[in-house]
This record gives sequence, structure tokens and C-alpha cells, in this order.
Amino acid sequence: MHEMSLMSEIIKIVSEDARLHGFSKVDSIVVIVGDLSNVLPDALELAFFHFRKQGLGMLDENTEFEIIREVAKAKCQTCLFEFTPDYRMALCPKCMLPNCLLVSGETFRVESYEGSDEL
Amino acid sequence: MKIRLQEDVLKDQNLAAAFNRETFKKNHTLVINLMSSPGAGKTTLLEETIKALRNEFHIAVIEGDLATDLDAERLRSLGVKTVQINTVGGCHLDARMIAKTLPDFELDTIDILFIENIGNLVCPSGYDLGQDYKVVVLSVPEGNDKIPKYPVMFRRTDVTVINKIDLLPYVSFDLEEAQINLEEINPQAQLKALSAKTGEGMEEWINWIKDAYRQCTKP
Ligand SMILES: Nc1nc2c(ncn2[C@@H]2O[C@H](COP(=O)(O)OP(=O)(O)OP(=O)(O)O)[C@@H](O)[C@H]2O)c(=O)[nH]1
Ligand SMILES: [Mg+2]
Ligand SMILES: [Zn+2]
Repeated sequence: MHEMSLMSEIIKIVSEDARLHGFSKVDSIVVIVGDLSNVLPDALELAFFHFRKQGLGMLDENTEFEIIREVAKAKCQTCLFEFTPDYRMALCPKCMLPNCLLVSGETFRVESYEGSDEL
Repeated sequence: MKIRLQEDVLKDQNLAAAFNRETFKKNHTLVINLMSSPGAGKTTLLEETIKALRNEFHIAVIEGDLATDLDAERLRSLGVKTVQINTVGGCHLDARMIAKTLPDFELDTIDILFIENIGNLVCPSGYDLGQDYKVVVLSVPEGNDKIPKYPVMFRRTDVTVINKIDLLPYVSFDLEEAQINLEEINPQAQLKALSAKTGEGMEEWINWIKDAYRQCTKP
């Protein structure tokens, strides 16, 4: 698993943007993790605590971290039925045709962060 | 102050993948990213594939492993330019690692570049390397349940190679079931059953590569 490197990427992205905004500190980070993104939220959180302790980037001991889960959704291209798929991601449970596309669940992005510049 | 960033965590990785893709395209190089669990037979398949294609095509390989250059040595002994990437614990190759190796190749002289990814059915599936095709190798002794258990990998690959079919008489693996499982996850995917050891089924695989090469070099 590579959540350590993913978390350091997140902190890099946020800290770089915070620098551009003239912040000196990042107070919170919100990320979206899709159920099909192969990212383990618990491992990501552990990595966050590790880096927060180190004060990586613009983190300090009070920086908060929130993970929003995005559920997997597939949509049948034949009957337009939308559903949460099991492993059979292309199979429509209504018309039983393997003709579905994923419409969500693969996201892995930094949604927002809060920065401040009081020292 | 709250900033709505909405930025993909893999943005830099995906930019590197786009750069690789552009570079491969410019040089008319077909690039195939081979993935599988450890030991499914990626290197053996590569060895046999190279032997079948080397008279017609100029081939090169990027070998990904956590440690050692054992696999790279196997391929170099066939006279093929091979660059080894050791990820030292890293569970997948990413596009930035590939980009770093590109100056080691004279890409304009290379027709087909194979990338052997780290043996792992999870992490490599999330990283676009800039390849034309992703291929996953599943070997018969691993069992039918690997397709349902690792659906993300099978959903994101263009071709599933079922390897080691010479072992079908000894282990319970059902090719028809694999075909059905695959279709329910990824109806566009092609399935090629073969044995890299006996050569059974290799012809169809080789022909697929030749077709892919023609597609990729079409003006
Ligand atoms: N019976 C049989 N054995 C095979 C076949 N293909 C590969 N093997 C054997 O499977 C073992 C692993 O093969 P490799 O080619 O090294 O597998 P790999 O996927 O490259 O392994 P890693 O790089 O370590 O992930 C070797 O002992 C091969 O000889 C096959 O078609 N039939
Ligand atoms: Mg190998
Ligand atoms: Zn339907």
C-alpha cells in the first residue's frame, strides 16, 4: 500500500497552493476518496497523523483532516438504471446486460483546505 | 480562509503520463503495460513474445521490480535493451519513473516497448503510465476468484491473458467462468488463454500485438 506517498502528495499540493495565497499555516484539509479508488481511508489517516507530527509542509499540531467517501455508482446504458454495483461493475441488475458505465466511485482529490496567516 | 481546490491527488502523475504518451506517439512506439500478481508469468511471457517478434520488430523493455535486476538480466540475455527500475518497496510503477528512463532509449528506433510492472493486482491499476494498452496476466493456479476479487484491475485493462493453461488438468480453473466474470466487469476486454511454457495459444497473442502495432503506427 502506498498511502504514505499519497498523503505526502496531498500535503505538497495543499502547501504549495497555500504558499501562493500567502498563508503561513494550513488549518484543515478535506479530501474525497472514492470507494473504487483503491485508497484505504484508515491508512491515509494514519499517514496524515504521522506527517502532522513531523510538521510537514504547512501542517502544525492543530491541522485537521477530513475524508469524504464517494460511493460507487454505475449506470446502465440500455435502461438508464443507476445503482451501487458489486464487483460486477458492468452488469445491470435490471436488464442483466453488461452495459454499464461507472458514474462515481473513482474520485481521489483534494476538495478544499483552510489556510491562515496569523503567526 | 477556505479554498476550494478540487485538485486530483494524482495530477502530477497524470501530467507525466500525458507527457509519456505524447513522446511514444511522436516516435511511433507501441507501449504495452504488463501487470499481474507475483509469479503469474509476466517475464516468461515477455521472453517468449520477444522470441516470436524480434525478427520483425525492434523491441525494448522497462522492468519494474522492488529489488534486483534478475528479470532484466533474463531479457538482456535475449539481446533486448532493458532498463531496470527498482522501486525499493514501492508497490507500483508510476509515470514519473517511466519518464525518467526515457532518455536511456532511442525511442525513434523502437517499435514496441514493453513495461513489466511490479507483481501486484491492486496498486498498478491506478497508475496510467502513458501506455497504449494495459494487459493483465492471470495464471491458472491463482484460481477463478481473482477476477471478482480484484475487479478494479480487470476493469481497467484492455486484455486479460490467462497464462499457464498447460496446468489446467491439475488445478481447478474454469476458462468459461473467467470469460463470464470478465464480461460482467469489463465487456470491452479481450481474453487470451495461453501457455508461455508450451506455446499453446501464443499465436493469437502475438497476432494481437501485431495488430496493435499497425493501429498505433497508422498515420
Ligand atoms: N507451467 C507453467 N509455468 C509457467 C508458465 N509461465 C511461467 N511459468 C513459471 O512461473 C514462474 C514465474 O514466472 P515469471 O515469468 O518469473 O513470473 P513474473 O510474473 O514475471 O513474476 P514477478 O516478476 O516476480 O512478479 C516461473 O517458474 C515460470 O517458469 C506457463 O505457461 N506454464
Ligand atoms: Mg517478472
Ligand atoms: Zn439495464
